[in-house]
Amino acid sequence: MIKFFKSIKALLEGLFTVFKHLFKKSVTLQYPEERPNLPEKFRGGHTLSGCIGCGICQQVCPCRAINITKDNNQVVSYTINLRQCMFCGNCQYYCPVNAIKMEQNFELGTDSNDDLIKELVKENESGVDKQ
Amino acid sequence: MSKMKLNLGPQHPSTHGVLRLILDVDGEKILGCEPVIGYLHRGMEKMAEGMTYLQYLPTVDRVDYLSGFFNSFAFVSAVEKLLKIEVPERASIIRVLLMELNRIASHLLWLGTYLLDLGAVSPFFYTFRERELILNYFEKITGQRMMYNYFVFGGVRHDIEYLDEIPPIVKTIIEKLEDYEKLLTDNPIFLSRTKNTGVLTRGEALAYSITGPNLRASNSHLDFRTQSDLYKKFEFKIAKADEGDCYARYKVRLDEIRESAKIIYQAIDILQLRFGEINTGLKPLNLNIEAGEAFSDVETPRGLTTCCIKSDGSDKPYRVKWRTGSFYAVQLLPKLLIGNTLSDVMAIYGSLDVMLPEVDR
Repeated sequence: MIKFFKSIKALLEGLFTVFKHLFKKSVTLQYPEERPNLPEKFRGGHTLSGCIGCGICQQVCPCRAINITKDNNQVVSYTINLRQCMFCGNCQYYCPVNAIKMEQNFELGTDSNDDLIKELVKENESGVDKQ
Repeated sequence: MSKMKLNLGPQHPSTHGVLRLILDVDGEKILGCEPVIGYLHRGMEKMAEGMTYLQYLPTVDRVDYLSGFFNSFAFVSAVEKLLKIEVPERASIIRVLLMELNRIASHLLWLGTYLLDLGAVSPFFYTFRERELILNYFEKITGQRMMYNYFVFGGVRHDIEYLDEIPPIVKTIIEKLEDYEKLLTDNPIFLSRTKNTGVLTRGEALAYSITGPNLRASNSHLDFRTQSDLYKKFEFKIAKADEGDCYARYKVRLDEIRESAKIIYQAIDILQLRFGEINTGLKPLNLNIEAGEAFSDVETPRGLTTCCIKSDGSDKPYRVKWRTGSFYAVQLLPKLLIGNTLSDVMAIYGSLDVMLPEVDR
């Protein structure tokens, strides 16, 4: 009989613990309307500026996602294949001139596969005249 | 009743991964059980042979994705032994701090999903809410929530920041543990599902090479943290229970969260007082690793994880071998399940805290 009342007490205590949560603030983030507050070190989409084309990022990349083309020691093309990239941040950490950076951009989905191969050298920045 | 074979999984939601169990049942009673593993095999060991040490390091977090820091630590410390370098003191304390936070996060996830298996839905949301605090902190200092890639050969990547945010997080979690205990410890439904089910004696556990909380719930003191140099500076008790049933495993894990919290407070005290190097400044592309073998071990939330590396002097490992705790826990299933009823399968399997990515690697 004592055991029975003990069980009832434990069940009621449990119900009360759950019931308390009705009056607490919601913790869910209503994603498309509310944006997450991402930290500074977040590893998202890549940006490139001032690349010297040493190729260290290519060597440390576990997924072999980076491809660099050079012409007369100038970086003409720097592509990163986001289908392969695992966002480990090795390229950022081992870059000797801090050229490649991972930004807070995390919405990287696109309609086509080809769009996932990102060209990071902007036309006006490459040293070679493309015409 | 007629006897039949019952196929459980591999896509069963309670298997936390993909495990297939072939059960011989007579009505509700289980007469035989054969676990089939390998559905989550990614070739972590073979993959190492085609990658350099630096390339392999980020993938190591995926051996067990709920405790990435531990796997990273096992691999990194084995390579450090090959390189014969000393880790700075501050770096090793940062490692302990992060690993213990990771242990709390892992046990919280176990608690939530185990209760979900037993039919209690609300604790699942509560434990995930608390785990989120730790994951958000990890995101701030490492850049990602689960695949950290924060340890490097000879230390850690960056110095630790936002140290004063940890004590409030740990304090909240310890307070909330009381809430969970109110829900569970005397709950008659939880007690009848877990008490005296899946009893594992100390002798059987040792014979099956079980380590971690599963072993300590069976009246054993074996905790590899006490034997490691890393934890010598810290004082903590070994969480232990005598009964060896599912309820004992639950109690051990809850106690471990409290002990981890003690280690975290001590680590923060040291980090706030003493400053120093956080890595050896080693950033070479080709590590000059000599031929030889190195071995390292770490006590993870799921038992003993060891990493053994054989090097032939080139920039790629010749062979990497992983030993993980969950692999041995799966072997226990036929032993524990036979004689029980079908409704006990998930109660027993869940209590062992098996991670399938760790089993298949």
